[in-house]
Parts: sequence; C-alpha cells; structure tokens
Amino acid sequence: MGVVKLSTAGILDYSKTSNFLSGNAPVSFGAFDLLETQTLASSASSVTFTGLGSYSDYKHLQIRATGRSARADTGSEALLITLNGDTGSNYAWHRLRGFNYSVSSAAGSAQTAINLDRLMPNNNEASGIFGSAVIDFLDFSSISKNTTLRALAGANPAGANPTIGLFSGLYNSTSAVTSITLQVAFGFNLTAGSRFSLYGVK
Amino acid sequence: MTYDLLDSVTLASSASSVTFSSIDQSYGDLILVSNHATTGGADIRFRVNGDTGSNYSWVQMYGTGSSATSNNTTSDHFFDYGTPTSLGATISIQFMDYAATDKHKSVLARRDWASALTLAAAGRWANTSAITTILAYTAAGSFAAGSTFHLYGIAK
Repeated sequence: MGVVKLSTAGILDYSKTSNFLSGNAPVSFGAFDLLETQTLASSASSVTFTGLGSYSDYKHLQIRATGRSARADTGSEALLITLNGDTGSNYAWHRLRGFNYSVSSAAGSAQTAINLDRLMPNNNEASGIFGSAVIDFLDFSSISKNTTLRALAGANPAGANPTIGLFSGLYNSTSAVTSITLQVAFGFNLTAGSRFSLYGVK
Repeated sequence: MTYDLLDSVTLASSASSVTFSSIDQSYGDLILVSNHATTGGADIRFRVNGDTGSNYSWVQMYGTGSSATSNNTTSDHFFDYGTPTSLGATISIQFMDYAATDKHKSVLARRDWASALTLAAAGRWANTSAITTILAYTAAGSFAAGSTFHLYGIAK
C-alpha cells in the first residue's frame, strides 16, 4: 500500500485542526503558534508556564506580555524572569535603554533572575497604564547550550520615567527549559489584567 | 492561525495617508509593518480611532552611527517616527492588547533606516477603547508610490 501525502487544501483554519484525524490530538501546522495565555483575573505574585518539555517540537518560545505592578507608588518596577524554578545566582543580563532623555547600558552577572528593568508601571499610576514586552527564548530545549533570551520592552508611566529597552539574558545552565516564571521585583504582585501569552516558533 | 495578515496596502501612486479600519477584534496584538518613503521631508505619524487629541506619549532611543540619543514626549497628538526620504525605511509597530477595554494601549516599535539610524520606541495611547482604526499619515507631503503597509494579527 502506498503512502498518501495529506493535503491542507480545503482546510480553512489549519493552525489547529482538532478533527483532522479522528481520535487524535490537535495537529498544529504553523511555524508560529499560540501555546497558552494567562490573563490575571486578580493580582498574583507571579505567572509561571510549566511543562514546556511538551513543546520541544518548537525551536524557540516567545512571550508577549502586558503587565502592571501592584506596588502603591508611581513609576515602575522591573519584571524578573527565572527558569526551571532556579533562584540561584545563575543568570546574567545586558540592557540598552532609553530612559527619559538619556541612553545608557548596564549589565548584571551572577544574578538570581534576568532583570527587565522599569517595565511594570506601579499601581498609583492612572488605571489602565500597563507596560509591555516581547521576549524570545532561543533554543529553549537544547541541552548543549546555555539558554539565552532577548527582549524589546517598554513602559510609559504618566508621571515620569518612560522607558524603552533592548535586553539580552543568559541562564547559565545547559538544562532544557521546562518552566518560565515572571514576577515583579521586590515581591510586589502583578495586578489583575496583566496578560502573558506564550508562543512556539519552529 | 496565530499570525495572520489582516490587510495589506501597496501604493500605486503617492498618497497622504493610509487607513486600516474595521480592524478584526479577535486577536491579542497587532503588528503594523511599513516600508515607505515620504516626500517633502515629512515625518510619518500614526493615530488610532481618529483621535486627534493630546493622548499620545512616547519614548524612543536611536543611534545614528556617531551618537545615541533618547527623548520622550507626553500629551502629543500622534506617534511620530521620523523622516525617511527613500524607500527602504521600515517601521514595525506592535499594538499590545489592542482590543482590551481595561488598558491604555501600549505600543512597541522598531524603526530601521540603514542609511540613517536604528531606533526603538515605546508609546502609550491614553485611552481604554479598543483600537478599531489605525491611520498612518505624513506631517506634510505624502507617501511615495511603492510604499507598503501590512497589518498582522497575533492570536492570544
């Protein structure tokens, strides 16, 4: 019996076709797929994506985020990223930032998280003001490389200190990334409405 | 699909503006990509929902090859991304959570014009309304023929 190559002809939305083969799990045909979204209905100390090993058929991950800090203050706080639940001093980062009227660069090594500084507007800013970030985790399931990320992110609090930044981050481990945790610096919560969407890139 | 082309415009002749209207509200984010030139030394600017009020703020940083600069503004009447005078200048603007009604609209932008500069910017439209239209226009003059504008939706 010959092998028949299946065609996508006639499938209107073939990103996820749950009934493509009856009884089988959804099939994804895309090169950039939505995997999960977490939108906070109430404030929370962190957001974690787990079980990422099940996405190893993707090469890279992307998180697209809009978030806000629950700190009762103006200005904004950093968004911190840790991987695999590792809170040891195993992270490094660099940033190039436009902040008010100056451009600057900074770096951290042997850090306990990757720091995306001043991205989460605080809760005394006008309601509705959120910061945003697009974060790429490259070769996240590799076990021969330390994991790296890059991000474009920014925030425009109403009071002062608007920020735009290009960031790079390093997880100094060759373990495959199986979980990603995002939280506000200094232990402040993320507010309701903060949204984090996870995508896979083939 | 997760990353869909929603609309595409290629100018057959010069035009003073391009409008995307009745934008599909079912996506999480929008990405507008343009490759354009303007005549008359005019800046390219963007507005949403026809809002001409002072509701736009932005911060940007850019490098010209000899210097790096950051500046910002509040209460502007548009997002402004500078003056490209020849095709090959590209802008990518990400409108985050554009359909939400509980958030001001945050944008992240990159502007690259290899003969002049590279730039990154963050902006905010101080309004919680969902974005239904996006207007790209020039401060004066027009977009050159051949300019392209593509609007994509990212599922969430």
